[in-house]
Order: sequence, then C-alpha cells, then structure tokens
Amino acid sequence: MKDDTTIRERELSILRKMEKLLYYLRLFPAVFWLLVFLILPLSVMFIYSFWTMVRFELVPTWTLKNYLDIFVRAEGLYLRLLFKSLGMATAVTLGAIALAYPAAYYISTRGGKYKYVLLNLIMTPYLVSWVITIFGWRMVIGYTGLVNTLLMSVGLISEPMRLWGNWIAVIFVLIVSWTGWLVLPIFVSLEKIDRTLLEAGEDLGASPLENFRKITLPLSIPGLLIATFFVLIPTLGEFVAPLLAGGTTGAMIGSAIEVTVTRMHNWPFGAAMSFLLVTIALITSLVLIRKAGLRTLMESL
Amino acid sequence: MLWGKRIISTYFYVFMLVMYLPLLTLLAFSFNNSLSIGFPWRGFTLRWWENFFSDPVALTAVRNSFVAAVAVAVVATLIGLGVAFPLVRRVFPGKSILLSSLLVPIAVPSLLIGISLFSLLRVQLGLELSLFTLVIAHILVALPYSSLVLMARLIGFDRTLEEAAQDLGATGFTTFRKVTFPLIKPGIFVSMFLAFIISLEDAAIANFLVGSDLTVPMFVFGQLRRWEGLNTAMALSSFMAAIALAVACLFLIRAIKPRLHRSSKA
Repeated sequence: MKDDTTIRERELSILRKMEKLLYYLRLFPAVFWLLVFLILPLSVMFIYSFWTMVRFELVPTWTLKNYLDIFVRAEGLYLRLLFKSLGMATAVTLGAIALAYPAAYYISTRGGKYKYVLLNLIMTPYLVSWVITIFGWRMVIGYTGLVNTLLMSVGLISEPMRLWGNWIAVIFVLIVSWTGWLVLPIFVSLEKIDRTLLEAGEDLGASPLENFRKITLPLSIPGLLIATFFVLIPTLGEFVAPLLAGGTTGAMIGSAIEVTVTRMHNWPFGAAMSFLLVTIALITSLVLIRKAGLRTLMESL
Repeated sequence: MLWGKRIISTYFYVFMLVMYLPLLTLLAFSFNNSLSIGFPWRGFTLRWWENFFSDPVALTAVRNSFVAAVAVAVVATLIGLGVAFPLVRRVFPGKSILLSSLLVPIAVPSLLIGISLFSLLRVQLGLELSLFTLVIAHILVALPYSSLVLMARLIGFDRTLEEAAQDLGATGFTTFRKVTFPLIKPGIFVSMFLAFIISLEDAAIANFLVGSDLTVPMFVFGQLRRWEGLNTAMALSSFMAAIALAVACLFLIRAIKPRLHRSSKA
C-alpha cells in the first residue's frame, strides 16, 4: 500500500519534469539561433582578429598586430576615421532627434483620433529599402536634382551647387531617413505624461514654454534614450550612405571595414576593427537600455 | 500661443512631405524620357518600366526580396512566440542571460552581423551563400523586435481569462485558440510587420550573405555602385516606392472611411 503511493508519486514527479522539459523546448529555436548564428560567428571573428594574412591565406597565429595597426597603419588614418565616425554618428543622432521631437509632439497633442494613422504614415516609407531612399535623395539634392534645378530656374544660383558627394550629404541623408523611425519612441514617452501635471503647471503660472522645459522634456527622456539607441548603433556601422553619397570626404569606419574585408580580403585587420566597433556599440547600448529601461524599449516598437 | 500652434502644424506638414519626397521624386523621374538621371525633363515615357518588367534579373530580385521577407516575418514571429511566454511567465535558470543576449543582434551594427556570419559560413565552413543564408541572418536581426513586441503584449495580459477557460473545461489548445491567441493577435501582426520591413529594407547584411541571389536593395546597390543600368534600377526603385505609397493610401482611406459613413448617415 505504502509502496504503491511512493511509486505513484515518483511517476507523477517524472511526468511533471517531462512536462516542464516539453515547455522549455520552445526556447530551443531562439537559443539555437543566438548560439550558432550570433555567438559563434562573433567568436570566429574575434579569433580572426589575432590571425595574420600571408599571401591571401589566413594563417592562425596569436598576434596583437591587427589591433596595433588600427592606431598606426597609414599614419593613424583608421583611428581618425573612427573618431570622425563617432562625431558624425553623434551629429546624426542629435539632428534626427531634433527633427523627430516636434513631429512626435504634434501627433501626441494634436493628432486626436488620427494619432495612429499618422504614425503608420510615418512608418510606411520604410517599406522601401534604405538604398532606394538614398537614390531618391540623390534625385532631390544631386547635381541635376530637384533643388538645384528649382533654384536655378528662379535665378537664385547661376550654376548647380555640389550638394551631393561629401560628408555633409552623408549626415543629411542619414538624418532625414532616420528621423521618421524615431517619432514612435518619442511619441510613446510623450503619451505617458500625465496631463494633469501640465495643468498644475499652468495653474501655478508657468508659461507653455516653461511647462515644456520643466515637465514635458524631462519626462520624455526615456523615449529620447531609446531613440538614441535606434539611430546611434546602426549609424556607427554605416557604410551604404558613405559609399553612395559620401564621395571622397564622406568615408566612415564602416566603409573602411567593408573595403578591408570585401576588396582587400584582409580578414584579420577587418576583424580587429569590427571587434573594436562591436565593443563600442555593445557598451553604448548597455548604458542606453539600462538608463531607459527594457520596458520603454518594448513599448517603443 | 496661436502662432506657436500654427508653426508646429506647418512644421508637421513639411516633415511629412520630406518623408515622402525621395519616393515621389523617384516615381516622377522614372517616367522621364532621358538616358541620364534627373533634370532636364524630356517628356513622358514608359520605356524604363517596360525595361524593368522585361528584365528577368530585376524581376527575380523582387521575387527574392518578398520570399525572404515573408519567410523572415513568419519564422521570427514563431521563434519570438517561443521565447516570449517563458520569459514573461516563468522563472528559470539563465533567464536574464537569454534576455540580454536577445538584445545583442540589435545592439551591434548590421554590417558586423553580416561580416561575422560571412566569416563563419563562407570563410570558415565554405558554405555556398544564397537567399537561405540571408534569411537566417534576417531572422537573427528580426528576433529581438519580435520577442520584445510579443513580450510587451503578454505583460499586459490578464491571465485570469485563461484560468477561467480552463475551469470551464477547455483543453490547453482550445484555451490558446479561443483566449490567448485573439488577445495577442495585435502583437503578432506588429511583430510580423517589423520583421517584414527589416528583411525587405536590408542592404548591409545582404551585401555579405546573399551570394548570387539578388534582392531588390542589392540590385539597386550594385547598379548605383557601378554607375550603369541606372534607368532599370530607377524603375525598380519606383516600383517599390509605388508599393509603399499604395500602402500609405490604404491607411489614409481606412482612416477617412468611417467618417464618410457617419456623415452619409447624418
């Protein structure tokens, strides 16, 4: 009798364990994907960054030369490129957020029942690839583009301006194409602000501007951090815009990595630069997401 | 005060115009009867569109792009559903590690995702690159978005509804079909939409992983890089732009329609 119940209990506990195992099986695809297609490739890249290239062959060695090369090769060209990219990425982030904020503010305060339609309309242009957007901007501000032709026909300029093919064009294109993507996170954080706070501010005699500066802006900071995360990280590794819009002055560290790997086939050096950039991006992301909170990130999608 | 309101609404209209300006310009110039891209306007033509529709490479690129985007949308959402439930509802060892590694694909620029996967798959393992390897990479990048969207949906989920269904005798599957699924459906749609866009959009990863199977961005990128065949690339770009504009119009019509109904009733 007693034996019977212990056997039953043991059976039940095995059954429960099996059930648990079955439940956690659903984690398997994600874990597999992350291990095999993220951690493993990044590790391979990390190992490559210590190898050397001898006559177009990868040779397994353990050297720090590739990392040193970032600082000394071509008289520090790569290091300068890295700092320039950090500067450009910062400019793009600030510019894109500055343009997105008033738009998000407008939707949040004046959108009424059309709020979500307007948000959808801002997202739709992203159905078109980034490459195509750049192509489109070239037709707008390129040498024979819309802006030059318009200004010439009005007589403001006598010959076309060189607006395309330099670092300013790269920053411009990145700002205008990222800004729409940032409206949503800023909008979400604006929506969460308690309207009664603003009324209280008004009652206490604050001007709309003061209200904005002391209540709205500080309370929308989580959204701004997520917006920064959305634009800063991809821009750090950007190589498409520098290639298509940058001419000779628009190169970024991403373009250097791409050329090193695909044209020069110098895997170790490319891997060293990539790994440095991965580290910078991961630390930046960690700080931004920690400060903003995972919850804000979730709600901003 | 009134002026402030006027300025901000004017700003918003200009903002929307700027969002659509490159697409509209491309579309307009795809009808320009001129070999060179841009002004001057030399009359209306359908030549470039005909070229595009009779170019098998360009058409394959369109097909490849959409096949990849649909596959990524479905698979990333399924995998996302798999992690979203345990991550929100259970406590298990390694949970926080899983959660933070889920964020890594979007915390690393996609250029580096592309390069690292290329080093593993092509350089190290010598695999043949194709649309399949690209889909694998796109799923990796879409996975954080899918899981986060679904998790957000599950956090605000009233679990007593599921318990009620079970108390009334529903099986696990019936509960999922009748209670859980309808409640998380919006999350599933958003997840699929985001994954679809991420795949359709991408050129940075495709540049390394797609091999000889071209996608739309890679076709246009190749032409822009080599500076030739730009007219076909322009017609193809305009085709994609037209799709985006059509979707935008759908949103607009859906927004205005209920108002029309109401005014016709009144």
